[in-house]
Amino acid sequence: MQNAKDTFYVTLQGRLEAVNPARTVVVRGVTRPGVLVEENELASAYEPVDAFRLRWTGLKVDAQGSLPLVTMECEIRYATDGSSGNGGMDRGRLLAAMDGELVSAVGPAPQSVVKMNYSGVSAGTAPVAMDTNVFWGDVVFGAATVEGERLERVATVTVWSYQEAGEL
Amino acid sequence: MADLMVAVRRAADVLLRGCGGRTVLLRVPAPGVAGNSAEQLGLAVPRFQDVELGPVVFRRTRVNAAEGKAVQREVLVSASAVEVLTGSLGFSSASVLFATAFGVLVDEALLTIVSATEMEAGGVVCGYRLLLREAAALEV
Repeated sequence: MQNAKDTFYVTLQGRLEAVNPARTVVVRGVTRPGVLVEENELASAYEPVDAFRLRWTGLKVDAQGSLPLVTMECEIRYATDGSSGNGGMDRGRLLAAMDGELVSAVGPAPQSVVKMNYSGVSAGTAPVAMDTNVFWGDVVFGAATVEGERLERVATVTVWSYQEAGEL
Repeated sequence: MADLMVAVRRAADVLLRGCGGRTVLLRVPAPGVAGNSAEQLGLAVPRFQDVELGPVVFRRTRVNAAEGKAVQREVLVSASAVEVLTGSLGFSSASVLFATAFGVLVDEALLTIVSATEMEAGGVVCGYRLLLREAAALEV
C-alpha cells in the first residue's frame, strides 16, 4: 500500500509541476513543487497556502481476487489567501486556478502508472518498477469553505492498486 | 519609519535585557535537502538543531496550576533576534518559524509552543510573546 501511495504522490507531483512549474512550496527552507504529503512531513501547526496537501484517509481491501485489490481515498487539500498585492480580492480566481491545475493533472489519460518501490531511495538506490499498476479515478471536488480571508477546498481522488505478494 | 522601527526595537531589546533578559534555545528542524525525494516520501528523518534565542524574558503565566493540568509559561522575545533567525534559517516569516519549531529548551526542559503573538509599539513589531506548555510532571 505504501508503494501505491508513494507512486501516486510522485506521479501527481510530476504532473502538477508540468501544468504549473511556478507553483512551489517552501518546506524547511527548500523550495519544492507545490504538493506535499502531510503524513510525510513534520507535524506542524503550519499549513502552507497555495499548495496541494495530500492526506490519505479511507482504505479498503478486497481479497476476493488472485491479488488483493486495495482501494484508498486521497484527500487533496488546498487553500489560498489571494495575493497581498490585490488585497486578497483575487482569492476566488486563485482557488479556481488550483481547481483547474488539479483537473489537468489527475483527469487526463492514462489514469494509471506502473507501481514503483521507493524504499531504497534513502540509501541512494533508484526506485524499482513493480509488476502491477496504480490507477485512479477523476477528482471529486468538495464545496469551497471560507475561513476568514482564506478560501479552502478539499478534493478527493480514489486510488486503486493490487497488493503484490510480499509487499508491505 | 525605518528610524522608528530601529528605535522601537532597540528600546524593546533594552527593556528585555533590563528585566533579567536571558537566552533560551529554540529547537527547529534543520533545513531540508534540495531534491531529496527520500525526505518528501517520509523515508528520511530531518535532523534538529538548537538555536539561541535572546534576549528573552521567561515567566510563569499561571501561579497555581490545577492538578493534572499542564503549567503554562511565557517567553517574551526580541523581534530583532527573531528576524535574524528567520532569515538565517530560511523561513519565510516568524510565524512559520514558530509553527515549525519543535519547542523551546529552557534549562534542559523542552516546552511546547502553544501560540506565538506579536507585540507592537507604535505600529512596529518589537517582540513576540510565546505561550509555552510543559508537562505537569516537570513542575517544581
